[in-house]
Amino acid sequence: MAAGGAGGKTYSFKVVLLGEGCVGKTSMVLRYCENKFNDKHITTLQASFLTKKLNITGKRVNLAIWDTAGQERFHALGPIYYRDSNGAVLVYDVTDEDSFQKVKNWVKELRKMLGNDICLCIVGNKIDLDKDRHVSVEDAESYAESVGAKHYHTSAKLNKGIEELFLDLCKRMMETAQAEERLKGNGASQSASSRRGVQIVDDEPQATPAGGCCSSG
Amino acid sequence: MIPKMRQVELRAYWRKLKAFVKTLSLQRQMMENLIIAKARQDALQRKMEERRLRLQEEANRRFSASGAEEQEQRILYTNVLEYEQDHDWPKLWKANMKKNPDDVTLVSGLVSYLLSRADHPVVKLLRKHQYRVYNRLYPIVSKGLVQSPPRPLTPSRSTHLPHPEKKTTRGSSVGGQSFSTASYLSPSLSHDHSTNYEDEVEEELHSQATVDRENSFEDLEQFLTQLDWAPLHSSTEDSEGTCDPSLQPEQDEGSLQELEMRALTEHLKAVVKDIHIAIDQLLSLCLLSFECLNTANSKDLCLASIEEAFFTPLWSALVALFRRVYREREQAFETSMKLYQDVSPGDVGVPSKLFPEDSDAQQGSYPYESAVQELKLLLKDCCPQRKLECIVRTLRLICACAEDYRCLHDVDSTPKTAAIGADDLLPILSFVALRCQCPQLVSECAALEEFIHEGYLIGEEGYCLTSMQSALAYVESLQPEQLPAHKLV
Repeated sequence: MAAGGAGGKTYSFKVVLLGEGCVGKTSMVLRYCENKFNDKHITTLQASFLTKKLNITGKRVNLAIWDTAGQERFHALGPIYYRDSNGAVLVYDVTDEDSFQKVKNWVKELRKMLGNDICLCIVGNKIDLDKDRHVSVEDAESYAESVGAKHYHTSAKLNKGIEELFLDLCKRMMETAQAEERLKGNGASQSASSRRGVQIVDDEPQATPAGGCCSSG
Repeated sequence: MIPKMRQVELRAYWRKLKAFVKTLSLQRQMMENLIIAKARQDALQRKMEERRLRLQEEANRRFSASGAEEQEQRILYTNVLEYEQDHDWPKLWKANMKKNPDDVTLVSGLVSYLLSRADHPVVKLLRKHQYRVYNRLYPIVSKGLVQSPPRPLTPSRSTHLPHPEKKTTRGSSVGGQSFSTASYLSPSLSHDHSTNYEDEVEEELHSQATVDRENSFEDLEQFLTQLDWAPLHSSTEDSEGTCDPSLQPEQDEGSLQELEMRALTEHLKAVVKDIHIAIDQLLSLCLLSFECLNTANSKDLCLASIEEAFFTPLWSALVALFRRVYREREQAFETSMKLYQDVSPGDVGVPSKLFPEDSDAQQGSYPYESAVQELKLLLKDCCPQRKLECIVRTLRLICACAEDYRCLHDVDSTPKTAAIGADDLLPILSFVALRCQCPQLVSECAALEEFIHEGYLIGEEGYCLTSMQSALAYVESLQPEQLPAHKLV
């Protein structure tokens, strides 16, 4: 499903951004996409949808970052946001235990919807406020490990750890895509038209919301 | 002494309690992991199953293609060659393209010229496919016009299934009654229609384009223009009279409705699939006719032009079918829309810094009005790509408006770097959808979901459509007394 590798050497990856309202995901993604040389990276949709072009070990990567609404009432259609995602960045606020619980709920939902194809990053933001920390490093890291995710610490305010987080994520997504290509062997030529056939067969938009609303915790 | 004893006791208890809590959390985590593992396994199995089905289907298509379809393709290509013998313009265009390979305007020029030649095999194939799709829509859509949409379904309406001659099992399980074409065609059109339909069947059998389809297609266009203004039929009550719904036990009616809905949904799926196949076929014939168009960019352009030509005359009939399938959702939307027509952005959870406080004072206008006006234009376009562009423009306008409103609030302080994220965007979009007052948006977006290009799904267009869908679903879910926002969170 989440085959990000396009024919040539350009990868297109979709990354969803999840997190409660005040955890700072908007600032984080803006930090990442603002460019020292050119601030035109910010699209006309501002921080809700951002793209970034990267060059990793000689391979071109196009990243599309989809922000999602943290509010519970918009979650009925969450699954259509996750669809075909290659990666997910789940952000919590290290000073806010609740926001970490929310992350756990999203992890469950993502795994349920997308299985192991998706690379998960759990991100503790606001480490500049470490003295008010309410989620212990140990807990967070062991939880991340237990669900096959990687854990990162960032500070959007100090611009710490963000670049590394996305770079690491991209590398992991590339590995996943390459593994998938190898698995498919010569099936790399699966064209767009054959994918279209898939779209008609699966009726995901109608079928998934029912499974998606169990995240309210 | 005693207090110290107690302290010791308390400490022991405390330690026990801590250990207990730790075991509990460990157990909880284990449970969670188990659940996740189970879910993963299920997801994997589901995916494998889906993949198998998909491959099977593709294989089926390929196999049948190798026989009949390939032959059809060959005949079509022969027609193209024949056409080129008789006409000079393809050669001239090809030579011109060769001379100026980087000229994009030439590509669009060629494609639009091609689509204007009614006698070219590509255009003939286009008309043939359009007619076929239209034929599958017509019985249902024309029926839908007789009654106003909100009226509950009556059992007799379950008879209008496509291709009566073919009598699918689906059809007979649903109604099994009155399959004659005439019963659901208006007297004025039934003659032309059924003759052409027979032509169609005949053609399918011989898989040869021998009948001139132009006349029948004019009928289609004529019908569709009438469709836009007023219901065409007033004399189709005949089938209604045969079966009075009030005489039926209520349970029966319920299950019949359910069956009908299922049949309609299946039918919609089949039509959507037909359209995808038709467009694929058209594109490949187009590229076969003009190899010079077979580059990534030209191909996209070509596809866009084909889709526009294909969908424009069909969209209103197509969306009418979608509207019947999504009627319940549209009704939910309409209910919310009526309940909350005077809602303020704050009531749906838009933060106060993102709309002007004195919105009441601005006479005749309201916040985000420009976005609402833009979104209303969506119904006027007749091609999925253009509709998608309209949604993108709406979201961009929302972001621009939000920026302006925030600047109004922050006159004194330095402009903040924060930008609109999804947390702000979705409440605003819900507000805009409510103010738009068009329940049809629900069906339009559902249709767009089916026809959006693979390549756009991941990009801005896909994001905007997804956000729109999300906002619509939220509006549909609104209950009376649910707003204002501080009650929801």
